[in-house]
Amino acid sequence: MSASASSPTATSARPPAVSGRGATFGRVIAAEWTKITSLRSSYLLAAVTVAVSGALTYLSANASSGDPGFDPLGSLTSALVLTPIGLLVLGVLVGTGEFSTGTYQSTFTAVPRRLPVLAAQVVVTAAFALVTSLVAVGAAVLGILPAAGSRGITVDLTGEQTMQILAGMVIYPMGMALFGMAIGALLRRPVRAVVTTVTLTLVLPIVLMLAADMATDPMAPSQPGSSPPAQAVVNTAVTFSPSGAGSLLTVPEGSGVEGAPDLGRWGGAGVLGAWILLPLAGAAVRLRTRDAT
Amino acid sequence: MIEVEALTKCYGPTRAVDGLTFTAQSGTVTGFLGPNGAGKSTTMRIIVGLERPTSGRATIDGQRYADLVAPLQAVGVMLDARSVHPGRTAFRHLLAQARTHGISRSRVDEVIEMTGLESVAGRRAGTFSLGMGQRLGIAGALLGDPHTLILDEPVNGLDPDGVLWVRGLVRDLAAQGRTVLLSSHLMHELALCADRVVIIGKGRLLADASVPELTAEGGSLEDAYLKLTSDAVQYRGRSATGSVVPITGVTR
Repeated sequence: MSASASSPTATSARPPAVSGRGATFGRVIAAEWTKITSLRSSYLLAAVTVAVSGALTYLSANASSGDPGFDPLGSLTSALVLTPIGLLVLGVLVGTGEFSTGTYQSTFTAVPRRLPVLAAQVVVTAAFALVTSLVAVGAAVLGILPAAGSRGITVDLTGEQTMQILAGMVIYPMGMALFGMAIGALLRRPVRAVVTTVTLTLVLPIVLMLAADMATDPMAPSQPGSSPPAQAVVNTAVTFSPSGAGSLLTVPEGSGVEGAPDLGRWGGAGVLGAWILLPLAGAAVRLRTRDAT
Repeated sequence: MIEVEALTKCYGPTRAVDGLTFTAQSGTVTGFLGPNGAGKSTTMRIIVGLERPTSGRATIDGQRYADLVAPLQAVGVMLDARSVHPGRTAFRHLLAQARTHGISRSRVDEVIEMTGLESVAGRRAGTFSLGMGQRLGIAGALLGDPHTLILDEPVNGLDPDGVLWVRGLVRDLAAQGRTVLLSSHLMHELALCADRVVIIGKGRLLADASVPELTAEGGSLEDAYLKLTSDAVQYRGRSATGSVVPITGVTR
């Protein structure tokens, strides 16, 4: 990263000699990793994520273990309505942490080009979320074992579709962590960023679905293959929300929501990616062109 | 050497810094003075690249701060004792800073020892008193063994022992040929540790002189300061009885 890395003599111009190549990208990543791993909140959110994943999956699998056609694998994703929220908040705390505390002053005087810091935050947030997600998925797998055992079902995770769902269960919460980080870096204030991200991922989809339910006449004859227009609009909006798009990674292909365009796994990943990249680009522009405050 | 040339910074219609020019020479401690809101902190933030000047420029040894290859090893900066995450320990805060420049863990221990923070290095910075926060800020500024130091009110909140220590520290650093720019409101302290004094008011330069020059008329540095800034004070308190607090020591 450093333009001077190839010219060790450049440092001899000014006394006393400045040693080293300054803030290379690798060093900035090391610094950001030190930061994310030195806060209690990071570990607390990771622990809550793992605990919720294991406990909720266990309860859900147990509750449905009495069903005649019980498939323990079907309960694997049941905690996924909640587990991404912990990592979302973790991301927000990484993105806003510099500005909500004044740490940005020591950070940006050490790395005056600023953008490497943002990029390094993406890297360490993804890495921390990856580890947390892997453990959380492990907890979810453990969560279905008692229910499966009680019915004498052997859990086989090696099926192609199961593997894809497990991968989605790791990637989707990672994406939510990066979404939180991007919005946090853009808005710079934790309360604003948490409210914005939780509204977009949790509140808005629920409110929209309730509103559509109320707008739909329950007595109207249902036509197979089509849903009421209000319902279709809402379902489309929900599908394009960060959580809606992300959860497409964790459902079998072709099980899109009624009335909404079926984005599929890759489409869902793309929409979630856009939810990350657009605020990140905004944060980068703000970082480069405005005073650091 | 820090050179500030015709520096202007506007926030909307407000001119926080207005055509300011001064130089802080190597081997000297330059005191930076002015009433609250005079533009001291803004000037320092522009010098270290946190804010952009509206016009004019500020350079350190001829380079813009943003162009420095290894800023931490060229310039030590302490702007604000609150530039630390309250949930991070002092050691980890300094370690994260050090890692940006590949500075060793032993150097982190060294600056912790230099600033007397050994016993609290493992404590979260949020539990620190103002004085301990200042020591942590100074430790961060010393981390890269820089040739230039920019310290915004470093003795603010320090105990008498700490004030004495900072005085000795900046004198030593200047004696080694380094540049020290430090702001303070403590006149008696500056009279003891600064070689030159730059006084600003409402963003403009009011005086740039050595301490003996300013006190040549026989008064103290405080007298000279109050006289120079009497027209530039923007925030003035009132006494308990409601009258404007008389400025003592001013002889016109």
